[in-house]
Amino acid sequence: MSGPGVTAPARPVDLSVRLGDLELANPVMPASGCFGPELAELVPVHRLGAVVTKTVFAQARPGNRAHRLGESAHGMLNSVGIPSRGVHGFARTDLPAYQRLGAPVIVSVGGLSEGEYWRVTEELAGTEHAAIEVNVSCPNLERGGVTLGSDVGAVRRVVAGVVARTDVPVLVKLSPDLATIDAAARAAQEAGAAAVTVCNSFPGLAVAPETRRATLGNGTGGLSGPAIKPLALRLVWQAAQAVTIPVVGCGGIATAHDVAEFLVAGASAVQIGTATFARPFVMTEIVRELPALAARLGVTRLTDLVGTLSF
Amino acid sequence: MTLQPLERTDEDRPAPAWCHAEVLVNRPLTERYHHLRLAAPDVAAAARAGQFVMLTAGRDGSGPVLPRPMAVYTRDAAAGVVDVLYAVVGQGTRALAGFAPGERMVVVGPLGRGFAIHPETDRVLVVGRGIGTCSLTCVAQDLAPGPVELHAVTSGRDPGSVIGAEVFREHGAASVRAVHDTDGSSDVAVLRARLCGELDGGPPQQILTCGSERLARLCAELGERWGASVQVSVEAHMACGLGYCHGCSTGGPTGPEESPLVCRDGPVFWLSLP
Ligand SMILES: Cc1cc2nc3c(=O)[nH]c(=O)nc-3n(C[C@H](O)[C@H](O)[C@H](O)COP(=O)(O)OP(=O)(O)OC[C@H]3O[C@@H](n4cnc5c(N)ncnc54)[C@H](O)[C@@H]3O)c2cc1C
Ligand SMILES: Cc1cc2nc3c(=O)[nH]c(=O)nc-3n(C[C@H](O)[C@H](O)[C@H](O)COP(=O)(O)O)c2cc1C
Ligand code: FES
Repeated sequence: MSGPGVTAPARPVDLSVRLGDLELANPVMPASGCFGPELAELVPVHRLGAVVTKTVFAQARPGNRAHRLGESAHGMLNSVGIPSRGVHGFARTDLPAYQRLGAPVIVSVGGLSEGEYWRVTEELAGTEHAAIEVNVSCPNLERGGVTLGSDVGAVRRVVAGVVARTDVPVLVKLSPDLATIDAAARAAQEAGAAAVTVCNSFPGLAVAPETRRATLGNGTGGLSGPAIKPLALRLVWQAAQAVTIPVVGCGGIATAHDVAEFLVAGASAVQIGTATFARPFVMTEIVRELPALAARLGVTRLTDLVGTLSF
Repeated sequence: MTLQPLERTDEDRPAPAWCHAEVLVNRPLTERYHHLRLAAPDVAAAARAGQFVMLTAGRDGSGPVLPRPMAVYTRDAAAGVVDVLYAVVGQGTRALAGFAPGERMVVVGPLGRGFAIHPETDRVLVVGRGIGTCSLTCVAQDLAPGPVELHAVTSGRDPGSVIGAEVFREHGAASVRAVHDTDGSSDVAVLRARLCGELDGGPPQQILTCGSERLARLCAELGERWGASVQVSVEAHMACGLGYCHGCSTGGPTGPEESPLVCRDGPVFWLSLP
């Protein structure tokens, strides 16, 4: 029936995306470390395109000293230091809780050495997960701030080794702490990655001059939130030009409009971290808003926005 | 002093929810503290004493990106309202002070695991300092009217920063000691002598404290003297309040395992002398 006040149903909008062999119902997923099964208490997380676990290491790690968090202008710094139960504890305790959420599970894999990434991948081989995200980019681990991800050769070796040890698609989450992102993105592609995630938090420092101390227990930390959005957008745009595999955008995304900006810059999917803390419903709200946004931008498939940027 | 998580069951932690709570009241209460009243029926109905909420002070893409943890000061399940007292100390609490009645604020709660009063306990001492007293006032709400005898100490820098005394009185506390630094009544030695004098004859089985390390130490000492158990509510910088960001760990790395998380395993812990 139609009549005054009844609008014709809008044409359905296709939100689905493919990252290699990984098919997602929509492009919205959480950023590693900014999500856990606990969030299912608050929001319908099964509506997300995928869920991403906190980075898992081979051995248990306690994480850094307090304070681990601090507010900064339009963003936050964290030096959580990626505590982990280790891959055994993860597979036994954490992974089943993620599996129950009803969205594809992407396991974030970390390592303190090249071989550790491979060991974790091998240990995961018998478990159920939709994809692996190799975190080569954590800026705040023990090794004097040097990240594996800043060495293109190491990225290539680590990713090739992970790809050889798993049947699932491998995403590679790149560090922003690079002279250029092109070479690292290409190295990931050549090593067999299904997609690159761009990017992790930016290395940063907060200082309390009164005490002459860093405000974070660890000294330096990772900057995230709206402050890094323009930086991340540029890196996404650069990475998308450098590779033919899909790019997953991450950094400061807080609205459906932000998602559209990342898609236009070249991302096929997005990850949302910091925004969830203040607005736990932000990811599922964005999923709900995407069809209307796509319609407003004149596309029926969200992927039609991807990489449409011109100057 | 060492912290130990309380043994807990799922019953100790009602499921949290988020809401766009209407701000009903938000005004200065004393020179130092503001009073915020929120329409948050689910939190009001479920919150246990010592639990907290996360308040989002950022709006429309501006302001603080992290929500701020605040104790539930008092709650009224019938009216569906939650009261919070906060001290304006920085950017986040300044932004909170900017909310006008009628505006809505994103609230998540109730969160954490609060104080546990054991069924055999018939006398409780609560000791709060400054804004930390806000974690203890719901205990008075829960114990009234009832057989458990409540003794309260509320301490502050000056008379204007001593809070909660009226809540303790209103809920039938057997004694309320409001002490402050200006007249020396809050001095730990003075307080110890007073509490021993008054309670040695009939000591509490449980002591609950929040807001001051020095007072927490006093409570731990009194706990040993009286054979009472001591629970303390501690603070940490927080982001998620739920247990997934791992931002609120209590301590440094002491072994391969992460220290307890304040939002998930606390904020209330057993306190003991080393
Ligand atoms: C479980 C819990 C319950 C709390 N209940 C209350 C309450 O009922 N009323 C109240 O006023 N405050 C309470 N707090 C403390 C409150 O969260 C902080 O004062 C607030 O986050 C400071 O934010 P800000 O941006 O204004 O200050 P900032 O600019 O962030 O910091 C100002 C000062 O406060 C310190 N600070 C920042 N965050 C915290 C924090 N989370 N805990 C302790 N110190 C902090 C900083 O190191 C700095 O010295 C509670 C904290 C926790 C963890
Ligand atoms: C508290 C916190 C913990 C994080 N932990 C991880 C982690 O374990 N692994 C990882 O790859 N990235 C981690 N990150 C980085 C985020 O996944 C994300 O890349 C970054 O925060 C930028 O996105 P945002 O601006 O949307 O937060 C963490 C970020 C925060 C704020
Ligand atoms: S605040 Fe996130 S784990 Fe406690």
